[in-house]
Amino acid sequence: MNTAAARASPDARGVVAPFDDLLGRAVSMRALALLRVLAGPVVLVHLRPFLADALDGRIYRDAFYEPYAAWYPEVPRGIYVGLLLLAAAAAVAMSLGLLTRLATTTAFVIVAYNQFLSTTHFHNNRAYLIIVLGLLVVAPCGRELSVDAWVRRRRGRPALDPSAPAWPLWLLRFECAAIYGASGLSKLVDPDWFGGTVTWQRVVRSREQFDAWPLPDWAWSVLTDRGFHTGAAKMIVLTELFIALGLWWPRTRYAAVWVALVFHIAIEMSASVQVFSYLGIAVLVVWAVPSTRDRVLRIDPTARGHRQWAGVVRTLDWLARFRVEPAPPGSQIEVVDRDGTMIRGAPALGLALSRLPLTAWFALPAPLLPAVRRARRAGRDGAFVRAHSPISER
Amino acid sequence: MRRVVVVAVVVVQLGLVARGYWSDHKQFAFQMFPESSTWRATVVRVTADGRRVPIERQWSGYRWDELVRVRGLSYPSIRHHADAGLDNQLAFLEAALDWVASNTPRDRETRYLEATVTSWHNADPPRVGVLRSSVREGAG
Repeated sequence: MNTAAARASPDARGVVAPFDDLLGRAVSMRALALLRVLAGPVVLVHLRPFLADALDGRIYRDAFYEPYAAWYPEVPRGIYVGLLLLAAAAAVAMSLGLLTRLATTTAFVIVAYNQFLSTTHFHNNRAYLIIVLGLLVVAPCGRELSVDAWVRRRRGRPALDPSAPAWPLWLLRFECAAIYGASGLSKLVDPDWFGGTVTWQRVVRSREQFDAWPLPDWAWSVLTDRGFHTGAAKMIVLTELFIALGLWWPRTRYAAVWVALVFHIAIEMSASVQVFSYLGIAVLVVWAVPSTRDRVLRIDPTARGHRQWAGVVRTLDWLARFRVEPAPPGSQIEVVDRDGTMIRGAPALGLALSRLPLTAWFALPAPLLPAVRRARRAGRDGAFVRAHSPISER
Repeated sequence: MRRVVVVAVVVVQLGLVARGYWSDHKQFAFQMFPESSTWRATVVRVTADGRRVPIERQWSGYRWDELVRVRGLSYPSIRHHADAGLDNQLAFLEAALDWVASNTPRDRETRYLEATVTSWHNADPPRVGVLRSSVREGAG
């Protein structure tokens, strides 16, 4: 215990200790490792316009720009272009997990430096990217899904512990929720937004853009109807606030993630938001429970179909949710969930697919289907009986 | 230590979100698609002898759309959406006038640049305002 903690009153320690425990508890960094892999392409897309200009011989200060502060250092042209190229190389290395911490730090420092060169560089998606990169720098997220880990294995050295204190994960969760919350709140308190004026005018004034869509006349009539936007704007605001709050509670988390995906895809289709949609979707992985291999997929290794499913799960299980184990010949496919619930057959496959990042959106509603709910209920009862039977107690 | 870092980040982030409600530039405030406001501006160079020359005409080898290429400011006479809100857009336009005034050394006749801005805040009636760059030394 440090001196300050020793001096704190028992009441203060009672509040601070659980907070410290939450931040310091070792959890799996798998989600952040996956986010690191996904963030590399985002950095490249973000850098593309700067690099394209640089290759055409233009940089930011050849035209209007506005420094935040006179003391902010500006480097010579050649070095600036070199930094952009270095950031692109670092982004690739970061995704691959090659010298992970150095690569991530390099990408973060250069992207942030470039952002703060001019107020004109600022966009919300770039701010979010800086936050994500900054938190990836402080999280040891290169110990898996990385060339570094592969090299370590090849050299016969023991793998590094893929778990670490949880505080970067919690901070990233906070930032993720704060972004939806801040956006939703700003619209909620603006009568023009909440009343539908803003969305209605945007649609009406963007008619040329929408003309490219194969929309039937009736759909266009609905979209340009003022009354429609009175309700639609409220839906948008409530959706953002639901995502911001719903992500925090396990009972609403899956729904919030599902809605967030739809929300980002809708934004991407209707507005130019640069890397925001991709980044927003990628960051959702941090809401996965930070533990790995705590579900079991049991397959009959003699059945070709089972082996194929096991292959699918192994390939797409980027968050390392499942252990794949053999079951006796003739068994049905079986999933044992984290709480011991055991389900078999098609419902088991539905549950497995709902826990894989690439198929989650399609399969997340599966656990709501009556057949799957029945199977889970039966599986839970079975798990309860097993847990309390004399055999299991032995 | 980590407790301090986490609390500091949370406080700073919440502070930046709050700052977004009064600042022209809303860095890290995450106010997405804040307005449907639009604007357009007639930008002229006011010369030492009092002439008002539209910036659409090239001068001293300069072109406005080459000097100002970002934030939807290249063609101010065309009505545009104010992507990040009207205050933000007009703050950028004002800064652009100053930058052009300060970074066109071959131009020896312009005293200042002036933008007559017509803006439509969401569905409100249009408002007209004037923005001026700083006065250039040694013009004329």
